[in-house]
Amino acid sequence: MISQTMPHGEGRARHAAPGAVIQATALTKCYGATVTALDQLTVVVGPGITGLIGANGAGKSTLIKILLGLLEPTSGTAAVFGHDCVTDGFAIRTLTGYMPEHDCLPPDVTATELVTHFGRMSGLPATAARERAADSLRHVGLYEERYRQIGTYSTGMKQRVKLAQALVGDPRLLLLDEPTNGLDPAGRTAMLELIARIGTEFGISILVASHLLGEIEQICDQLVAIDAGRLLRADTISSVTQASAVLLVEVDEGVDLLQAELARRGLTPAPFQRGLLVQLTGDETYDAVRDSIADLGLPLSRMEQRRHRIEELFRADPALAGESGASVPGSQTMGAPSAS
Amino acid sequence: MPADAKAAAGQLGSAVTNSNNGGIDSAGVIHNIGYRRYEDVRLGRPAIVRALIWHSLRSAFGIGRGAKAKIFPALLFALICLPAAVNAVALATNPGGSPIVGYDGYIPSLRTVVMLIFVAIEAPNVVSADLRNHTLPLYFARPIHRIDYPVAKLVAFVLACLAMVEIPLILLYLGIVSQQHGASQVWEQTLRLGPGLLYGAAWAVLLASIGLLLASTTGKRVFAMCAIGIPLFFTWILATVLGHVGEQAFGPAAIGQPSALASLAGLISPFTLLGGLLRWLQGNPSIGPAYHPLQPVTIGHYGPVYGVLFVVLTVAAIAGLIGRYRKVGVA
Repeated sequence: MISQTMPHGEGRARHAAPGAVIQATALTKCYGATVTALDQLTVVVGPGITGLIGANGAGKSTLIKILLGLLEPTSGTAAVFGHDCVTDGFAIRTLTGYMPEHDCLPPDVTATELVTHFGRMSGLPATAARERAADSLRHVGLYEERYRQIGTYSTGMKQRVKLAQALVGDPRLLLLDEPTNGLDPAGRTAMLELIARIGTEFGISILVASHLLGEIEQICDQLVAIDAGRLLRADTISSVTQASAVLLVEVDEGVDLLQAELARRGLTPAPFQRGLLVQLTGDETYDAVRDSIADLGLPLSRMEQRRHRIEELFRADPALAGESGASVPGSQTMGAPSAS
Repeated sequence: MPADAKAAAGQLGSAVTNSNNGGIDSAGVIHNIGYRRYEDVRLGRPAIVRALIWHSLRSAFGIGRGAKAKIFPALLFALICLPAAVNAVALATNPGGSPIVGYDGYIPSLRTVVMLIFVAIEAPNVVSADLRNHTLPLYFARPIHRIDYPVAKLVAFVLACLAMVEIPLILLYLGIVSQQHGASQVWEQTLRLGPGLLYGAAWAVLLASIGLLLASTTGKRVFAMCAIGIPLFFTWILATVLGHVGEQAFGPAAIGQPSALASLAGLISPFTLLGGLLRWLQGNPSIGPAYHPLQPVTIGHYGPVYGVLFVVLTVAAIAGLIGRYRKVGVA
């Protein structure tokens, strides 16, 4: 599990850190004299699904490429399964599947041929490569269309092929760089479900990079947030989202009544635009809101779960989080202040 | 434990999807089949490189790339085999006649044109397609080293060029041998075939390394074709023209030694360089009219220069290719 902010949180299955999957120490990568992609990044990632979250240009892809041994860090060290990324990238690449962010598929071959080929490139014998290619493509949900040339595929199908070629060599770790890029909402959901399934049922550790916290937190056990190459926060997903999720409730009338009623039930509603924001602690929050509205007989027009922007969410200093405005009611009491 | 609940919900979600898949477009559904681990033997780096060589060799002839990709390699292969077939028919209809095509140069001008087109069309398929489609990161994320990729591509394309150059020679040999009687005659033909095959290998190595180096400069197929075809074609023309000029303008070769211009013009183009290499290796400086009408390369006293330049050019092209992939970005 993540070691940075261990002392708190009700994270799941807390193994006593022997099996660190990824370990980076003071990792720095500079391009030329001016651009610093990673800046003294120190983080430990355990097994399970880990979200690597950060804005575009935060250094997510750079970190992944260093982990694969494709880029050399300017300073610092990184290791995957205990193999050093600079000296032992070869061993890492035998254990790792990589799904790049951008389009990387030739249009004039079929998915079967491509995935079989990359199975062989992962060291599988010809027969095994064919079998596992068929399996991988079925796992990602490609059936008859896998005999068509990739050039005829939709973006969603191409993303699946990219995932299948990463999966074909039966890796111990998958490095997925923006796997939902370019997908429509349905495609995103399907891709996220697929990643969750690979992580939980297939028993493969996954580092999934994304700039969209909302979608990544649905599937991750842990989150690593980086910004401008520096670590913002590394934590279990539960401790992060517990502090962050709020419920927006809008009623057509009687906002004041509802606020009083919710406060009476021990919640801390705060006015927000035309509705109320309520800190979300679990199903009981939904129950309390439902009962309040039902008891008061108010016309409910909208109820949705909202999230804060990444920067707010990962602000380690609780005082700053409190300052960030009335839109975070009760953050001082509800928020899980970090160990720092 | 919300995270556990979330994972459970995820599984529930996929189970629901499975039970509903009859009604949903199959492309959007993830079916639940058990995941099988791969516990069997994993091949090492040499086997992976061999697989990449085989894959690239196939793709050089359009195999595994759709029907359209096979047209040009097939046409060119048929074209370069034509003299061997004609020779076989000629010998069969005229028993006792002498072969009309030789092993050493085959038909140099035909071989030049065919190989020029073959390299210009297929070298981009071997390397620039991966650049164009940004496929390289997928390779470099595999358990191979950086250098393995260009080396595998080079070996594959040399083999492809060898097939184009040597198979017609072997067909020629078979056509001739089939009309021969007695082991000694067959053996004599075999002895002649050997040097021809070796010389064909020189063609394959030089053209493949130059072609791949030029093709690896750009991901655009058309640009890569031009980057190969234009210099190869025009240097060939230039070398031929200068060779003629050198002989006409600076004293006809019939008088004695060919002029320096005529002797050195052949160095300009890889094709005339190969022609000159053959003359030097055969110890035949080919003065004036004695030269092969189809191989108008004059080398004079400069034979060793042809040999040295052949080696230098080949080594430089291979080094350039490997250097190119040491630097190429993975993004």
